[in-house]
Amino acid sequence: MIQKNVIKVSNLTKYYGKFKALDNVEIEIPAGRIIGLLGKNGAGKSTFMRCILGFLKHKGEIEILGNPIRRHQESVHENIAFIPDVNSLDDRLTVKQTMDYVSAINSSWNNTKAMELLASSDLKPQQKVANLSKGMKTKLYLLITLSLDVTVLLLDEPTLGLDIVFRKEFFNTILGEFYDENKTIIISTHQVEEVEQILQDIIFIDEGKIILQEDIDELKKQYSIFTVPSDQREKLEQHNPKIISNTLGKVSAVLDSKVEIAEAQVSRPTLSDLFLEMVGGSNEKI
Amino acid sequence: MKKFKALLIKDLQINKKTLMIPLWITAGFYLLILLISAVAYLSGDLNFNFADIQGTPPSESINYIVNIAIMGLPGLISLIFIIILTQGALNENIRNNSELFHRSQPVSIWYQSASRYIVGIAGNWLALFTIAIFNFIVIAIILAVTDKFIFGLAISGMAQSVISFMKTGIIIGSLTFFCSAIFKDKAFLQGLAIIVGVQFLFIILNALMQWHLPLPLNYIIKLINVATPSGMDNELVNENIVYYIREAWMRIVINWNTLLQIGVSGVLFVTATLIYKSREIK
Repeated sequence: MIQKNVIKVSNLTKYYGKFKALDNVEIEIPAGRIIGLLGKNGAGKSTFMRCILGFLKHKGEIEILGNPIRRHQESVHENIAFIPDVNSLDDRLTVKQTMDYVSAINSSWNNTKAMELLASSDLKPQQKVANLSKGMKTKLYLLITLSLDVTVLLLDEPTLGLDIVFRKEFFNTILGEFYDENKTIIISTHQVEEVEQILQDIIFIDEGKIILQEDIDELKKQYSIFTVPSDQREKLEQHNPKIISNTLGKVSAVLDSKVEIAEAQVSRPTLSDLFLEMVGGSNEKI
Repeated sequence: MKKFKALLIKDLQINKKTLMIPLWITAGFYLLILLISAVAYLSGDLNFNFADIQGTPPSESINYIVNIAIMGLPGLISLIFIIILTQGALNENIRNNSELFHRSQPVSIWYQSASRYIVGIAGNWLALFTIAIFNFIVIAIILAVTDKFIFGLAISGMAQSVISFMKTGIIIGSLTFFCSAIFKDKAFLQGLAIIVGVQFLFIILNALMQWHLPLPLNYIIKLINVATPSGMDNELVNENIVYYIREAWMRIVINWNTLLQIGVSGVLFVTATLIYKSREIK
């Protein structure tokens, strides 16, 4: 099936002073997918998202829904909702004032849906955003975002600092209330375990470079975890894995599924395993 | 227009408390006067007699003079609050960590900037005007009791005083708004420090090198300097008060300086918005 791209990026480079935050990024993001943007802290995830929206000056070409983005254009937000850290809501407004403000400036606001979501939450309209807990702020952010009829949703570490319950609830709500096959969600996170089940595609970013963009199921078929007793460590080392992990008298590594190692236990890798294998970690080659 | 209205409402909601402070200060003054009067009355020290006003020259022009004089302090307070609001106009969202939220809305940056500019300046004008109306009513009542109230003279005094401060407010507010586009913290003080610094540098260079560099502070003071209703003294008598008021209108409003002030304010707003627009949002 040929899918139309919602975002097309060519030669995207971004410097902060002399530091190269994005290095010649080339990527095409198809419509109707849930995509995870995974990278270490400082890998360039937030910079990438902010460049896409025109918030940062950059070199290279960006197209969103067919429109070139050179600098920040407010019209882009007619079709794209962006949730950065949930703490970015305006603390000085109340819940109702926030809703009234967003509804008045967004032509795609669905008031019926907003009222439904408000009724199902325990948000009090007259409560100041400053007095909301982080979990409640998340609910408010979700409420105002899900009440907008946009085609692309960009989430930049949206659940940072939230406890596990709210993190799960956040992603379940996004999936249940927002996603359909015409909509695209890009989630930047390093808490990959919670989104692994909902993602369809994955993008690995490291040191400002896109090192992988792949369908998750395909990716998981390509790699397997091979586990052998510690005294057979060399069997793994022969295949040059980036990381060999030690666990209870055994060692394991992510290797190409086609590899054959006698007496090795083979299991399916998680996204974290694949990420560590591709990007490496602090305990690389130990 | 619906979007701009929403922005104005939002900015008013955010700054409501700050905009109300001049009103509360004025209310506090009135309360204090009432309290002092009540205490003096109860202790038998209150010997005020409305008839005392009689014979105080100039008897009719007091309508004009008192309405001007009473707006002095509220006018200065209004200027201070214009500075407070405009110096944070383009930075407050960054400090509040909500810049990304506001910039991620489908609304023009010009609308956003204009809304903050209007609330910072016109919001304070509105507060000043409210105080002026209240003061006018109080003075009208006092003068009416003594049969001295003349509406035309009184309203001229009030209007000229308010307009003078409005004009000073727009230029100071625009300068501070411009500074807020350049400096992210304590914009007014930083802007002032640079202007004063350049002023001293130019004075020294002019003295040492025999140059004639223009002094920025002088231009700004000239621009801010509104021909306030001044020059009144005890010689001002009822016969020439009407002439004086007419002449004051010319000095305060109908002149080239007013046009220059509006023009410079517009240029400062546009420049500030362009700088704000070009900022990266990290």
